[in-house]
Amino acid sequence: MGKVTFTILRFDPEKDKKPHYQDYEVEIRRPGMMVLDGLNQIRWEQDGTLAYRRSCREGVCGSDALNINGVNRLGCITHLEDLKTPVVIQPLPSMPLIKDLIVDLNDFQDKFFLCKPFLIPKKPLPDLEQLQSPEDRRKLDGLYECILCASCSSSCPSYWADPEYLGPSALLNIWRFVVDSRDVGADERLQLLNDRHGVWRCHTILNCIEACPKGLNPTQAIGGLKKALVSAKF
Amino acid sequence: MKAYQPKRHYRWHPGFVVWVLHRLSGLGLAGYLILHIWVLSHLMRGEAEFKRVMDTFESPLIRLMEIGLLGLVLFHGLNGIRIVLMDYGPMANKESYVKYLAVTFIAIVVLFLIGGAAMLQTLLIN
Ligand code: SF4
Repeated sequence: MGKVTFTILRFDPEKDKKPHYQDYEVEIRRPGMMVLDGLNQIRWEQDGTLAYRRSCREGVCGSDALNINGVNRLGCITHLEDLKTPVVIQPLPSMPLIKDLIVDLNDFQDKFFLCKPFLIPKKPLPDLEQLQSPEDRRKLDGLYECILCASCSSSCPSYWADPEYLGPSALLNIWRFVVDSRDVGADERLQLLNDRHGVWRCHTILNCIEACPKGLNPTQAIGGLKKALVSAKF
Repeated sequence: MKAYQPKRHYRWHPGFVVWVLHRLSGLGLAGYLILHIWVLSHLMRGEAEFKRVMDTFESPLIRLMEIGLLGLVLFHGLNGIRIVLMDYGPMANKESYVKYLAVTFIAIVVLFLIGGAAMLQTLLIN
């Protein structure tokens, strides 16, 4: 069924000073092959030294976010048929490189934890569960689904330029709790954001909504936070 | 190691392209503002001095550039309104943002053609 060329960034910190690119031929063996299938073929049959992250291979774990032909996507749900060849595969932009396609996500995750990604409930706690109306529950749609793949943050020019910027992913996850009717931590969360490295660093470039593999909208979430900050002031 | 130097640069989505243009037009306007204040500052040195500076700006080339200035103002202003609406309205949307961009651009071009034609006419008459 033909072959596809993969051009992959390679970097071994023990041997290489600089990253370089290496070409591999991937055989198309069945319809509907994904980029991750191609990477697996290379690693299992041609070159066992190729390093990349993967886990669930169905777009749920968020491990294999990669820059594929210049756009951030998940390797496991990107069809090879939809891509121009050669398929250029690079690690997520702007993140520190560890090895081959693996980047250091510590800073990204620290920013996520900074936003207190857990429910801060009203006290005293009710005896049973905390109820929420269906309308309030619906407000969380498009927010709670985030799989923390980092596609959005590493696609954002503001994030590239400002290492302190929290980034679309962390901000979307803050908004997810700010709009939750059961959460009372909005004020302390919003305080984190009201500076130049918080929401005001977003210039609505919209790379994040193009990148998000779950179809979420971080820009709109950031817009919600901006509105909340402005209305808290006036 | 720090972030790598990409072989393939990040794709230029329309949102990124207009952001770059917005920055550039902003720089252009800032430059104009400085020039404007510099020219006006000659007022303090008397009428004759001011007139001398103003005369150097009377050339047709500068007049043509003023039409470009109109373009910058229109682009920066109308696109700025679009950005505000995107922040505070529901316009940041993968499906529709390119449509809003198109509407903004059409408005810019129409206003530019009307204003530019009028400016060109006065330029040609004088
Ligand atoms: S918002 Fe989307 S792109 Fe960003 S981390 Fe979450 S799932 Fe990934």
